[in-house]
Amino acid sequence: MSSDKQQWGSRLGVILAVAGSAVGLGNFLRFPGQAADNGGGAFMIPYFCALLFLGIPIGWAEWTMGRYGGRKGFHSAPAILGVIGRGSWARYLGLIGVLIPLGVSFYYVFIEAWCLSYAIEYAKALFTDTPALGIDAGASLSAQTSASKDFFATTIGRSGDGVLFADGLAPIVWVFFLVFAINLWLVFRGLSGGIETFCKWAMPAMAVCAVFVLIRVLTLPAQSEEQTVANGLGYMWNPNYDKLLDPKAWIAAAGQIFFSLSVGFGVIINYASYLKRKDDLVLSGLTASATNELFEVGFGGMITLTAAFVFLGLAGTTEAVAGGTFGLGFSTLPVVFAHMPLGNLFGALWFFMLFLAAITSSISMYQPTMAFIEEALGIPRKQAMAFVAVLGLIGSGWCVWFSGGMVALGTIDDWVGTFLIVVLAAVQVIAFGWVFGLERGEKEAHEGAHLRIPGFIWFIIKYVAPLYLLITIGRFCWLTLPGWIEGLGANAVARNTMILIAAVVALLAALLAVGTRRWRAQGLDVDGEHPPEDERPARAGGNQVKS
Amino acid sequence: MTLAGLLFMVLSLAFVWGLTIWCFRKVLTAPAEDHVVKPPDSLGG
Repeated sequence: MSSDKQQWGSRLGVILAVAGSAVGLGNFLRFPGQAADNGGGAFMIPYFCALLFLGIPIGWAEWTMGRYGGRKGFHSAPAILGVIGRGSWARYLGLIGVLIPLGVSFYYVFIEAWCLSYAIEYAKALFTDTPALGIDAGASLSAQTSASKDFFATTIGRSGDGVLFADGLAPIVWVFFLVFAINLWLVFRGLSGGIETFCKWAMPAMAVCAVFVLIRVLTLPAQSEEQTVANGLGYMWNPNYDKLLDPKAWIAAAGQIFFSLSVGFGVIINYASYLKRKDDLVLSGLTASATNELFEVGFGGMITLTAAFVFLGLAGTTEAVAGGTFGLGFSTLPVVFAHMPLGNLFGALWFFMLFLAAITSSISMYQPTMAFIEEALGIPRKQAMAFVAVLGLIGSGWCVWFSGGMVALGTIDDWVGTFLIVVLAAVQVIAFGWVFGLERGEKEAHEGAHLRIPGFIWFIIKYVAPLYLLITIGRFCWLTLPGWIEGLGANAVARNTMILIAAVVALLAALLAVGTRRWRAQGLDVDGEHPPEDERPARAGGNQVKS
Repeated sequence: MTLAGLLFMVLSLAFVWGLTIWCFRKVLTAPAEDHVVKPPDSLGG
């Protein structure tokens, strides 16, 4: 257990912190591509079904487990899942709840540096005559696309490992150090003074930037009879009902909701552990999810592809969607901004907004590791911070050095940021629904709640969610895993990146073993055998007046 | 943009904006956690 008592300052603060953790690049860059690929407007039917019947219920279970664990004096996923799952199986699988945020932070902070670097480039172009990112709007479209891709590849060091260090430190490395330091400083300032205060400022700022960019996009002049805002919106929203019969669209919708809401990520369980017993979690969980959806559907669904369509047309937009999140965000959109009236201003606003979306997520990734190290070793926050800084620097330094082809980044994203999220979510819902028990879960969730969770949600948590997750894991192991393993064998960097992940797992497991011994020695209820202190009846004679 | 596309867009936007506004309104008007009405002293408060 940690010696520093961390707490949220306000209800709104914890909601914005959780929403900040959920809102990231995927809201603006991944969602529109998924929707356009899987039925356009019709995609919203499976998408909202997945939100209401999968994302929000699993989120509520996670909030409930986190607050319960906090009442037992624990704040890290391994300790909390040990209590909920009543044993070492859940405690050790709970390590995934530390590995995911830590592992994802390794590359996410680097991506965050790209966003800030692009925002700086656009801001600089506002005051000079040179075109931003070297994209000349007067050249042919293919030349502009090529210039944009080249700029991106050079900025992130895509051409080879170590190129960002070849001729002194590349500018992106300095930006990375700056972003890394800001992250550590915010996390070190604590939950209330750092993360909460920053999110209370950053989330509204992000919304303001998004509103400005949205207004700009919706008022863009038509570039031809075809390339209009209405047709751009049509590209994203016109329904293709045939896709509703395709299971892939339903799986894609569930996947998008899942990754977007940050369930199974190890963050919500940690954040919720700092709530007090009577703090509401039902309305808070719903509000955080709703905020995420506003950014995803309300802004992401309206801005990205509409702008791309107006300037690049149908073929260019289709190619951009095929380019994936990074292609759309860092290669295609700069071409769009090059054509847009006041494009440098809106480019700066857009990439600054992405930077805010990324940093509100990345600070939430360090906090679970901080909490785990603090309570496993019983050390003060300052020492735990130093530990996290060293781990973060090694991991992120690895991704920055092995930047060639984004292999290191992609390997961690696949194995830790994609696959393990589903595994952790499965562990959580099984521990919650089948070991902790729905009756206790329902009672715990409704402590201090401002809303009641409908009865059918509990059925979903116990049966539907685990089934969906186990099928997803089985399908992955059958269809995707062999290819991934083959990929590891073929690439030394990918293989060594997996060794790095394995070393981190070994370190976390050792820390957990030390922590478990400490917690038992302190008489803590490590295996969740008793109700929390604040729920136990007063001991006989304890509070009685002596006669 | 087709009429169906417009319909899907408007309904989706109405849903996410409506849900967010409803949630935040409820959060901001809910009583504070520490706002506990204590019984008068005569009742041991």
